[in-house]
Amino acid sequence: MNRSLVIVLGALALGAAVFAGSYFTAQRASIAYCDNPVDDLSWLRTEFHLSDADMARMRQLHEGYLPQCAKMCALIAAKKAEVQTALGNGTNVTADAEKELTELGELRAQCQAQMLRHFVVVSQAMPPEEGRRYLAEMEKITLGSHEEIEQSMPADHEHGNH
Amino acid sequence: MKENMSPDDTKFCEVLRAARPSPSLPPRFQENVWRRIEEAAAPAKSGSWLDALAALVLRPRFAYATVATLVLTGVFLGTYQGAQTARQDAQARYVAMVAPNPLR
Repeated sequence: MNRSLVIVLGALALGAAVFAGSYFTAQRASIAYCDNPVDDLSWLRTEFHLSDADMARMRQLHEGYLPQCAKMCALIAAKKAEVQTALGNGTNVTADAEKELTELGELRAQCQAQMLRHFVVVSQAMPPEEGRRYLAEMEKITLGSHEEIEQSMPADHEHGNH
Repeated sequence: MKENMSPDDTKFCEVLRAARPSPSLPPRFQENVWRRIEEAAAPAKSGSWLDALAALVLRPRFAYATVATLVLTGVFLGTYQGAQTARQDAQARYVAMVAPNPLR
């Protein structure tokens, strides 16, 4: 093989290895430095520039909210099991199954409302500007998934005039 | 030995030198000499661009500069990307705690 070609290819391979080595080493170091996988609230501190005092308040609110959230999750899981039972193996949606689905929907709505109330309380415990940003971000994350589904529906869908 | 020469010999040498005048140098003689010396000292030029690239790659100054640039770029991009990943992971952990997927 041409000697010059070997030199150029070798230099390219060496350059790629040097770049990849630097990139991945720096990336790992950066993740290890920035992230604290033990603390679930570390994102709040870094993203919204919260002080230790703010974080103490955040932890208090978070720990107060978690049991309510877990209770709602349990209620929803139980209702989902009831829906499955009501649907059974039949090919029709019975009145009983419809009632269970409505109740499941109501539970989910209650849960979402409770979640949003928690976000509002948390945002009010932050400095005003950061609080507004937090609330907007959380609403986008938690309600955005429904909007994505709705926006993905075609505009001229025959059920679009509901 | 020159010291042993007699005054007559010295005179004889001068006469000889005068009888063989040195020709005048061609124009830009000195510049051309230096150019040829530089060309001889430089690595042989190849007609192919690949050979020129290989010669460039083998120059230490070019190699050090390239390695330094690659390392700095890699560290900069890796640090930035790592910070983004860490931020996304931390956000995902928080959101998973306060808004589990089935509730969204």
